[in-house]
Amino acid sequence: MASLSKKHASFGNKLVLANFATLLICCGYLMLQFLEDNFSFTYVFENSSTLLPTFYKISAFWSAHEGSFLLMILFLSGSMFVNNSFFSGQDWMPISNATLAFILFFYLVFQIFTSNPFLTFDVLPSNGTDLNPLLQDPLLVIHPPVLFAGYVFYAVTFSLVIAGMFIGFDKKLFQSLKLWAGVSWFTLTFAILLGSIWAYYELGWGGYWFWDPVENVVLLPWLAGTAFTHSLIFSKNKILLSWMVFLGISTFLLTILASFVVRSGILNSVHSFASDPSRGVFLLSLFGVFAFASLVLFFSKSVFLQSEWPKLLSKQYLLVLNNVVLLAILLIVFLGTLYPIVTEVFYGQKLSIGPNYFSSLITPLVLILITLFSVEQFPTLLKNNKRNLFLGVFLIALVVIIIDFLKISALSVGLYFVALILSILLLKASVELITKRQISIAHKVLGHLSVVLLTFAVIANHEFSESLDVRLKPGEEVEFSNTVVRLDSVDVEGEMNFDTVVANFSIQSGETQSNLKSEKRVYKIGGVITSETGIVSTIQKDYHIVLGDRFQDGSWSIRYSINYGIMLIWISSILLLLSMLYGTIRRHGY
Amino acid sequence: MATRYFLVLILALLVMMLSIFSLSLVQTDELQTIKTQEGKKLIISEKIYDLDGNPIPFKSLTEGKVLLNVWASWCITCLVEHPFLKSITESKDVKLIGINYKDQSFNALNYLDKNGNPYEFSIFDLSGDISLKLGVTGAPETFLVIDGEIVSHRIGEVNLEVWNEKFAPYF
Amino acid sequence: MKNLLHIFKIFFIFALPIAAENLYENLNADQLKRLDYLSENIRCPKCSYGNINSSNAPISKDLKQEIANLIAEGFTDDEIFNLMEERYGNYVILKTDINENKSLFLIPLMVLLISILLVTTYTIKRSR
Repeated sequence: MASLSKKHASFGNKLVLANFATLLICCGYLMLQFLEDNFSFTYVFENSSTLLPTFYKISAFWSAHEGSFLLMILFLSGSMFVNNSFFSGQDWMPISNATLAFILFFYLVFQIFTSNPFLTFDVLPSNGTDLNPLLQDPLLVIHPPVLFAGYVFYAVTFSLVIAGMFIGFDKKLFQSLKLWAGVSWFTLTFAILLGSIWAYYELGWGGYWFWDPVENVVLLPWLAGTAFTHSLIFSKNKILLSWMVFLGISTFLLTILASFVVRSGILNSVHSFASDPSRGVFLLSLFGVFAFASLVLFFSKSVFLQSEWPKLLSKQYLLVLNNVVLLAILLIVFLGTLYPIVTEVFYGQKLSIGPNYFSSLITPLVLILITLFSVEQFPTLLKNNKRNLFLGVFLIALVVIIIDFLKISALSVGLYFVALILSILLLKASVELITKRQISIAHKVLGHLSVVLLTFAVIANHEFSESLDVRLKPGEEVEFSNTVVRLDSVDVEGEMNFDTVVANFSIQSGETQSNLKSEKRVYKIGGVITSETGIVSTIQKDYHIVLGDRFQDGSWSIRYSINYGIMLIWISSILLLLSMLYGTIRRHGY
Repeated sequence: MATRYFLVLILALLVMMLSIFSLSLVQTDELQTIKTQEGKKLIISEKIYDLDGNPIPFKSLTEGKVLLNVWASWCITCLVEHPFLKSITESKDVKLIGINYKDQSFNALNYLDKNGNPYEFSIFDLSGDISLKLGVTGAPETFLVIDGEIVSHRIGEVNLEVWNEKFAPYF
Repeated sequence: MKNLLHIFKIFFIFALPIAAENLYENLNADQLKRLDYLSENIRCPKCSYGNINSSNAPISKDLKQEIANLIAEGFTDDEIFNLMEERYGNYVILKTDINENKSLFLIPLMVLLISILLVTTYTIKRSR
């Protein structure tokens, strides 16, 4: 393979560029139709209208299946181009390119034959049917592109892993792999965070994660990607090489699976695209083809990938355990999400797997996970001290028995536990900072600290949050959990594409008073009713009001909630993202 | 040797997964996620009134073939199926009775004035209580009641296709 | 103009659906907790996803009200779940029962335990 001449390689580079350029033109053309309100295009007609603000006309491009898939293809072609310009002339580049070209080819065939966004009407409709109101939100404008970027970046890591299987992993290939793995993980995490923030502020259900099938399905590649990124750390010494390759392949396959589930509509969800069986069949076959090809390749090369295996109780051993726990979480999410399909096929009956399934199984595993990576911070604990290990296991067992005996709620125990680990880690980081004047691997410490902080915030949110349903007339007030809520007034306002009822509330908590408004909107086209939640955030807790229905006597039903830890969740997630970004950049010295 | 077992295991799992997904894709008949009320008796324990406030004897719903249609003036899909309901009552001998769901009576009367009234009368259900006990999840929904027993129940819009499948065999 | 706006205002507000009458005012704190638990675990029958606590569909509000009444009448949680399942089918029950889905809960845990054991024995074997 390495004997490919320079001439061929440079011709290949030009073709990659040409592919990217033509796709850019193609996307630009579709975008132009949206901006010019050309409703003779079915896709434009279905997702836009003349009343739509320009900002949302742009985002309407990726608001439904056809356009969003086209955008994904554009990103794939773009990242292929970037990969080519960053690491040009490497031995493995032609194989990486060929793999990506295969993926790109199948995606394009899929686009052209099942989801053509350029279909037109014979007659020109006067106006479109408007963009789904739930999608008319700045966060949801950026969420899908970021998500698709995350997916396609994992296609690049996949292609690099495939190349490595053919001609071996050299230093430059690892460098490229780590860069792309870091960037993909960052992008996918950012996308999930954006979706979560959108769900909290726009859906108005007072939650940030609902274990909705489509949310879960994004979590699958994310979990595999997390394990993959970690398995890359020690790959320099060829430890865990085959393990890393296997994870790299799985992550990419799971991104196709995610596309399949969302775009075929086999699961009911708030996020599903309109379903079309032919799309499902195509994506499923694509998944099957890539899965079989890459797995057979993996096993046929497994002798070639012979790698070192870590020693018992070494750092690397803990990492393997960590990966195993991550994959167990993946299995839980996978089973919980797809089991309804199994019952549907075999029993002809739809079934719901509720949030309690996921949370009751995943919470203990997350606690194990953070314990494992915290222990890793203290190398002396691991050195030849099997007695300590047994002591540790014994202590944990004792604590579990006591907890069971005292019947303390599992949630609050989790909270104390996470707080304990959080303080130990913080203490360790500060000691290191004072004695050595620096934290040895800052991004790693920060990253893991923010995961612990995130877990803490999530458990606190479940443990303390409370809510109240009440009906209020304008001018009335109600007391709840040391706060007084007052409905000041209710107004009606009109906007360009919707009318809205605005309820103004004031919340008195001790000395501080804050105002918020909660809305109920009726969109002019289609008459869809949406709620705009009113939220006041502080670092500790959020006050959250959803405006419900009007009663005949002029009062309104409201749902008033006090949600703890929401700000902490966002802050820790952003810290996590920053640490990954810093780690990725630092490693490459850009 | 171990890797070979691993390969076989993974491929087997993969094949299983693919076949389950394919089976789910070829399953053509759309599964009802929410149970319909077919086979149950029509039970209304409250006193019922029409839109003008006249009391209605419960017996008028349980004698012979009655098509009950849940509608509201704020419901967009109801407006979509309205012309079809009209055409059905004009062309066939159908006794169509409305259940006006969570609506102001003047809004409801306005709606009928504007779009025509295919209903013999409409039961006024401001609170939605009557409908709730019937197992209605929203508007529009349509029940076919024969001698007090619900024989067919459609959740969502009724059009020609749905009519032919769910209701036409009884007329 | 202002008059016109006022008229429009009235019409617009009146076009929205009407809510049920009382709002669980007869329940004590414990019963409200139960109401919250039940509503978290019953799916809104009209929506594609979401429980009746979080959805804005009229049916969700009504169901919550009905559940509140049932609690006040002395029905237990299980009886209420059964009643809802009987009316709308088991799709609306979001709570996953461990006893009815033992394998679903046990499979991941078994896989986890077995893989930890496998990894550890493999590591011991390799280090010899």
